[in-house]
Amino acid sequence: MTRLLVGPFNRVEGDLEVSLDIEDDAVASARVTTPLYRGFEQILIGRPAADALAIAPRICGICSVSQSLAAATALRALYGVAPARNGIIAANLAHAAENMADHLTHFYIFFMPDFARAQYAGRSWHDATTRRFKAIEGAAANEALQARRRLLEIMGILAGKWPHSLAFQPGGTTCAVDLGQKAQLVAIARDFRRFLESAVFAAPLEAPLGLKTPQELERFCEGRGADGDFAAFCRIARALDLENLGRAANPLMSYGAYRDETGAFLNAGVFDPVASALSPLDARAIREDVSHAYMRDGPEEPSLARTEPFVDKPNAYSFAKAPRFHGRPTEVGALARLAVHGHPLVRALLERSRGSNVFVRVVARLIELAMVAEAAESWAKALALNEPFCVVAPHDGDGEGVGLVEAARGSLGHWLGAQKGKIRAYQIIAPTTWNFSPRDASGVAGPVEQALVGAPLEGHGASAASVQHVIRSFDPCMVCTAH
Amino acid sequence: MAAIETFYDVIRRQGVTRRSFTKFCSLTAASLGMGPIGAAKIANALETKERTPVIWMHGLECTCCSESFIRSAHPLVKDVVLSMISLDYDDTIMAAAGHQAEAILQETKEKYKGKYILAVEGNPPLNEGGMFCIDGGKPFVEKLKWMADDAMAIIAWGACASWGCVQAAKPNPTQATPIDKVIHDKPIIKVPGCPPIAEVMTGVVTYITTFGRLPELDRQGRPNMFYSQRIHDKCYRRPHFDAGQFVEQWDDESARKGHCLYKMGCKGPTTYNACSTVRWNGGVSFPIQSGHGCIGCSEEGFWDKGPFYERLTNIHQFGVEKNADEIGLAAAGVVGAAVATHAAATAVKRIVSKNNDHSA
Repeated sequence: MTRLLVGPFNRVEGDLEVSLDIEDDAVASARVTTPLYRGFEQILIGRPAADALAIAPRICGICSVSQSLAAATALRALYGVAPARNGIIAANLAHAAENMADHLTHFYIFFMPDFARAQYAGRSWHDATTRRFKAIEGAAANEALQARRRLLEIMGILAGKWPHSLAFQPGGTTCAVDLGQKAQLVAIARDFRRFLESAVFAAPLEAPLGLKTPQELERFCEGRGADGDFAAFCRIARALDLENLGRAANPLMSYGAYRDETGAFLNAGVFDPVASALSPLDARAIREDVSHAYMRDGPEEPSLARTEPFVDKPNAYSFAKAPRFHGRPTEVGALARLAVHGHPLVRALLERSRGSNVFVRVVARLIELAMVAEAAESWAKALALNEPFCVVAPHDGDGEGVGLVEAARGSLGHWLGAQKGKIRAYQIIAPTTWNFSPRDASGVAGPVEQALVGAPLEGHGASAASVQHVIRSFDPCMVCTAH
Repeated sequence: MAAIETFYDVIRRQGVTRRSFTKFCSLTAASLGMGPIGAAKIANALETKERTPVIWMHGLECTCCSESFIRSAHPLVKDVVLSMISLDYDDTIMAAAGHQAEAILQETKEKYKGKYILAVEGNPPLNEGGMFCIDGGKPFVEKLKWMADDAMAIIAWGACASWGCVQAAKPNPTQATPIDKVIHDKPIIKVPGCPPIAEVMTGVVTYITTFGRLPELDRQGRPNMFYSQRIHDKCYRRPHFDAGQFVEQWDDESARKGHCLYKMGCKGPTTYNACSTVRWNGGVSFPIQSGHGCIGCSEEGFWDKGPFYERLTNIHQFGVEKNADEIGLAAAGVVGAAVATHAAATAVKRIVSKNNDHSA
């Protein structure tokens, strides 16, 4: 058995290191290390509770709206305030823009370029893939970046600035949209839809949105949508059997995405892909294990937990804690959201594989992109300009507030405790903390660590493309992971 | 003499047309305030001078600077500048990985000794021997010093590299430290903001790579062209401040009328940045325009200047105006870092142009 160290990783937000034990030219076991720690949970303590709105989003420049909304939701719970309806819609729209931008970046800038690697030279699809997706030089990246830039003008309108927007408050949003801005929001949402329909799916959105079975997906990729980048990925996935790569059978969890006063656009819950069983989300079953994290021991409930680094800790190998749901490692992300929501295609692909894999993770991300793009336009239209965008919220309140939201990469939670208006405790569990979790006290590996086992290296050692595919299929955001 | 490789060669190889190139030059000249002759100067420099490689490194950070950068208003500006910098090394977007990527650093260091620009996003944490930011098995601070040794100059992107930012907020658990407290013998240009505005970033990169020297800096090491005015000076809500018309609650009647956000904690009156002129996300808006005050994210120590939702008390509504240098000097004196600041300023002066290009 040999040990390989993979890293530093390129095309990843933040730093990541992976240590692999190799047997028979395949991964026998993996350890994922988050080598970056800043100490937000320590820094937030003692500050006025509302200042979390300015500090916490700065955990991440990629998903800062998610962080803002988790903080605002936690403060809402603490103050006991119900936000203005317009404020909720505007926040959902901004959140959708950020999440869609993330999915797009993941697909075009981070994930697809790996198929242009020299390792695949000679494959029938390699030349076309290289022309379209090669890092920096490929044509697709430029188109995607332009579409993304246009999409994020939504952020300019609703939040003034992005990343690290300030407009999201417990009472709603500070920006009251006027008629001209509403028209612009609708136009931007339509432009983005057009990009998806021309480049990504090569078909009207109704087509990918109507896919219910793996057979329909296959027919779509060979027929109507054949010219799209989505179909290109599906064909490569079939050629490389990505359905049998990066497999894991953990529960899939979603806190519920894009909530309003009537419920969530994508439901909350936990789906077990092996038993094909859905159960309600019970956030009280969440624990953080620190047995292999460079952190001092303490209470495992997020609302009581402390974050105190201990870099000389024996057996520790990551700054990330190991979150567990009912004691089990749990996978989060677009796949989990659609599985929980009951999307027929995603459920069918999960059943076929008895769990998650590289292929279904990417398919779910793109299908979700289509679903949210369609909804975003209707949200923009639903803004009622004469009604309030923000209600007056008290700026003091003692007790606890929990903010659970769905970021692009999965479930994000902020657990806030306040005393005399000041932050007494703050605990954050980010999506990548769930997926890139280290082992727990019983030695059970995290979702990515499990998914890497069995990846074939085909003589390429640490630079094997399979390892890259597995890791990137989870779209890591390492700056969020240990924060 | 062997043929040198110019930026123009590289841009052409990336498929950028002559027409696009000319457009890029005029846009850049305009954004840098260089006037009509500026465009020809930029074009000439890009066509004839050897290209200046840019190495982009990430320390303890949140990647918001990169995020901002790749969304520059004019797609062409982004494309051209991206192809300028991505040729070399940027661990967020580049194609190479692992040892291959490390080899690019080594090669640039040797081949372009004293000629490349080191752009740093984030900063090194110094506690526990640098353990809180490990990159390629080594503390980031070591990699930073190693690459800085042979650089021509350093760009400190954002509040992290310039001042420390939120990770340096009390109690600064990792001892996150701004670049100029670690690197003492190189010119450093600070481009603060959390993140900085995309157009400011592309403007700075283009200026340096085009002319091979830093633009004119203020005493705090920031480029004058973007940081010489306060948000307040060019704020479109300024008349309401002068008239004493203020928002008292989010989304109240005054808010709908676009009154001044000073009473909601706006720090525009003490913040030097270009947000109220260049604006954000394609020039669409900026925080004050979205109804929220400025939190002063380009100012040193902004993270510990909360509470963010209470009014500033030290502003004279009709008082004596100060410029960035005066305030900067006062700040330097207060923290007792005058000597270090001065030394850095002197080093910078050596490669700062004597001719004031952008006012010519």
